[in-house]
Amino acid sequence: MSKHSVQNKAASSKAVRKSANRKGAKRLNHYSAWKYLVLVVTVILLAVSAIPTWYGDKPAIQIQYDQTPPTVEQTAQLLRSHDIEASKITTTDNQSVMVFDSENDQSVARKVLAESLSKSDQITFSYVSIAPDWMQKVGFEPIKLGLDLRGGVQFLLSVDVDQAFTEKRDSMIAEVQQYVREQKLRGVVVKPSGSNGIQIQANNPERRASVVNYVKKSYPSWQVKRSDNVSKVTPAPEEVQQFTTLTLQQNLKIMRDRIEELGITEGLVQRQGEHNIRIELPGVQDPAQAKQVIGATASLAFHEAKSPSDARTSRDFVVNDENGNPVRLNKKPVITGEHIVDARASRDEMGRGQVNISLDHAGGKIMSDFSAKHIGKPMATVYREYQANAKGESERHDKVISVATIQSQLGTQFRITGSGSIEESQQLALLLRAGSLTAPVSIVEERTIGASLGAENITNGFAALALGMGLTLTFMALWYRRLGWVANVALVSNMLCLLGLIALVPGAVLTLPGIAGLVLTVGMAVDTNVLIFERIKDKMAEGRSFAQSIDLGFDSALSTIMDANITTMITAVVLYSMGNGPIQGFALTLGLGLLTSMFTGIFASRAIINLIWGQDARRGVRV
Amino acid sequence: MKDLMKKNIRKIRYVTSFVSIALMVISVAFMAVRGINLGLDFTGGLVTEVQLNSDVTNHQIRDQLSDISGNLLTVTKGGEDGRWILRYPTTSHVESSQIEQQLHQLSPQVNVISNSVVGAQVGQDLVDQGGLAMLVCMLCILGYLCFRFEWRLASGSLLALLHDVVLVLGFFAATQMEFNLTVFAAILAIIGYSLNDSIIIADRIRELLVSKPNVSIEENNDNAIIATFSRTMVTSGTTLITVGALWLLGGEALAAFATAMFIGILSGTWSSISIGTVLPEWLKLESKHYLPVPVDNAP
Repeated sequence: MSKHSVQNKAASSKAVRKSANRKGAKRLNHYSAWKYLVLVVTVILLAVSAIPTWYGDKPAIQIQYDQTPPTVEQTAQLLRSHDIEASKITTTDNQSVMVFDSENDQSVARKVLAESLSKSDQITFSYVSIAPDWMQKVGFEPIKLGLDLRGGVQFLLSVDVDQAFTEKRDSMIAEVQQYVREQKLRGVVVKPSGSNGIQIQANNPERRASVVNYVKKSYPSWQVKRSDNVSKVTPAPEEVQQFTTLTLQQNLKIMRDRIEELGITEGLVQRQGEHNIRIELPGVQDPAQAKQVIGATASLAFHEAKSPSDARTSRDFVVNDENGNPVRLNKKPVITGEHIVDARASRDEMGRGQVNISLDHAGGKIMSDFSAKHIGKPMATVYREYQANAKGESERHDKVISVATIQSQLGTQFRITGSGSIEESQQLALLLRAGSLTAPVSIVEERTIGASLGAENITNGFAALALGMGLTLTFMALWYRRLGWVANVALVSNMLCLLGLIALVPGAVLTLPGIAGLVLTVGMAVDTNVLIFERIKDKMAEGRSFAQSIDLGFDSALSTIMDANITTMITAVVLYSMGNGPIQGFALTLGLGLLTSMFTGIFASRAIINLIWGQDARRGVRV
Repeated sequence: MKDLMKKNIRKIRYVTSFVSIALMVISVAFMAVRGINLGLDFTGGLVTEVQLNSDVTNHQIRDQLSDISGNLLTVTKGGEDGRWILRYPTTSHVESSQIEQQLHQLSPQVNVISNSVVGAQVGQDLVDQGGLAMLVCMLCILGYLCFRFEWRLASGSLLALLHDVVLVLGFFAATQMEFNLTVFAAILAIIGYSLNDSIIIADRIRELLVSKPNVSIEENNDNAIIATFSRTMVTSGTTLITVGALWLLGGEALAAFATAMFIGILSGTWSSISIGTVLPEWLKLESKHYLPVPVDNAP
């Protein structure tokens, strides 16, 4: 026994020497002042950013009036006459903001207010923070809540890219067949092969070569493969990839525009996976209306535009362009959007934006006839959308998106120049493709979560968090006594930092599984401290002083802590990249929780321990 | 208690290992025989949760809805009085508005609390995607483990991980609880947690192998487990407490998640002590595998 303790002493004095050598003149268990500054500033900053979440947010309506808005009293009167009490109404210049206690009040108020508005007034729905104004001014916002906590509607749309591509291929076949007829290449058969390929079959090699050359020239991004007397034309993989991306972008843009028109400012539209689009509309309680808007059909047409000098006839109709200027058009379109196969933006020789349009065979023929007769005359592109209005009736919206002068006779492929910058051309190309309705969109998933269920989920989730945290704090305080309190301070600051961080990270959304992630973080965050404390206990048992044990305990636990956290981080990253709403929320809180728990568990608790027991030379202290 | 444990730790490890293997076999059998009851997220279909007057019964709902759906409907009671969960498979082509209309004839007050319609293809995609995510996760962790530990030691942690996942899946197969997307998230979280436990013991084993090369592997393993035992208990304890709180108060939406986590944490603790340390012994892990100095100690 005595021999044993002597050995221990020798070991400990060796360790002291070693650590003194390693750290040179540095004091044991000492953090310099700037580390404390960083720690305190970070914790306070994150804690403050968590405060607005405590206040939460409320459903609101914002109205942008064209003329002088009604006074606060008038609005309140109007709402009160329908038994709604707005909790706050503010009016500035032309804008009026009303805050309500519940989504129900908001949706009733919306109907009431919509009737009282003139056409040029704009009404939008959102959530506003009810934290003190100064916090919002500094940029601290409450944590964004996911649909499962807020209530709302979620759609998953599937964009049928394959169908669109097949149509594009079919129009190509029609064109090649036309070429075969024009060149009188008898015996050449052009037919579809597979879902997106073309097969050119001919016994005469010269004739086949002629057709193949034509295809190569007209469609450079397609690949031709020869075998015996058959040539197979297939799109290059990049071509398919690009087509898919463009089709998706087009649909994303259309959906974003439509949702904006619904007045929902917090709607989320994003691509999910290869060809799906996820739409989340927080606060919307009636999926039917949203469905009508999302499912609205759009089309596009080219019309003959009349110059002001032309005589007015009964066949004219007037449509406003984007700047609100009226454009007089011939009612009968030259061709409609279903003939457009593809539209892409590019640069012309001068570096200006232009849009290349491909028509199908029939469309090309009509366009060719029309343009031959109208060289030098303007032609307008009109975007048309059929949408259900508030009363459920179908309404037509027309908009002129460009007017261009016909320079020469046009065929199946032509371009519109003078559409401005390359960005504007891209926008136009997007709309042109939109009008062509190449890719059918269908709703493959629809979820509605009632606002009451959302509120219930929040209550349940946070009740579980409070209970779990309370029990953990009690346990730690009893089990590790003094050091336990340090762990508890670290745990509480961990929670504050984590909530603050979620509020700060752009795009971070708290979901119900996310709250579960918070609860789990509480359980696992103490692990960091437990590992350290157990090591400290071990070192104390070996006969070292408290201060030495602290130093060695933190050092030896570090690699274990890193190993444990990195493996969990791997699962969090994999989960996050799966990219599905609620699960992403879980992965997010789990991942961010690991970061904050390492920060508070290692750094903050060390800082506290250094201050209190950093120079404690006692041995045999019970921890 | 601790002395008793110290004396018998070898026996405890071997006995628990055999129990673990038996449990794994039983779990696999359950999975094979009963299969896992995949939820709407994975199968597709329609689920509506409604609040009706509290005097409406299960049979009334069934009879009322039989016109539009035949007998495809499943009705389950919700958490509160008058709350019902209605499920349809993807093949039924029922619209939620139809259901609401029909139910109005039963109860003057019909409140649709939540409603989900998922296409069959979406569900299938999610199954594929989920399987892929799990595979990627395992591979990433495998890569990390091989980098950090000698393969014999790493294989113990991996077997422990597999054990935990199989046990949780086996439990879901046995009870036919619904396996939804949040349970899937729980499984991945369990993978992380289980590794956490095994790694901490493996770290100790490595440390002992390096510092005491002359002691047998069995004894080193015993010592590593005893040295980390109080940490294992405290962390498992606090995590179980918080997950228990989630189970108790988290409501229906998180019940399955909390159940999966609870079992996963129990099994994770168990397996890290049992098969997690026994497998490296069977694979003849020796201290020479860690000599000369392991990579991470190099400058």
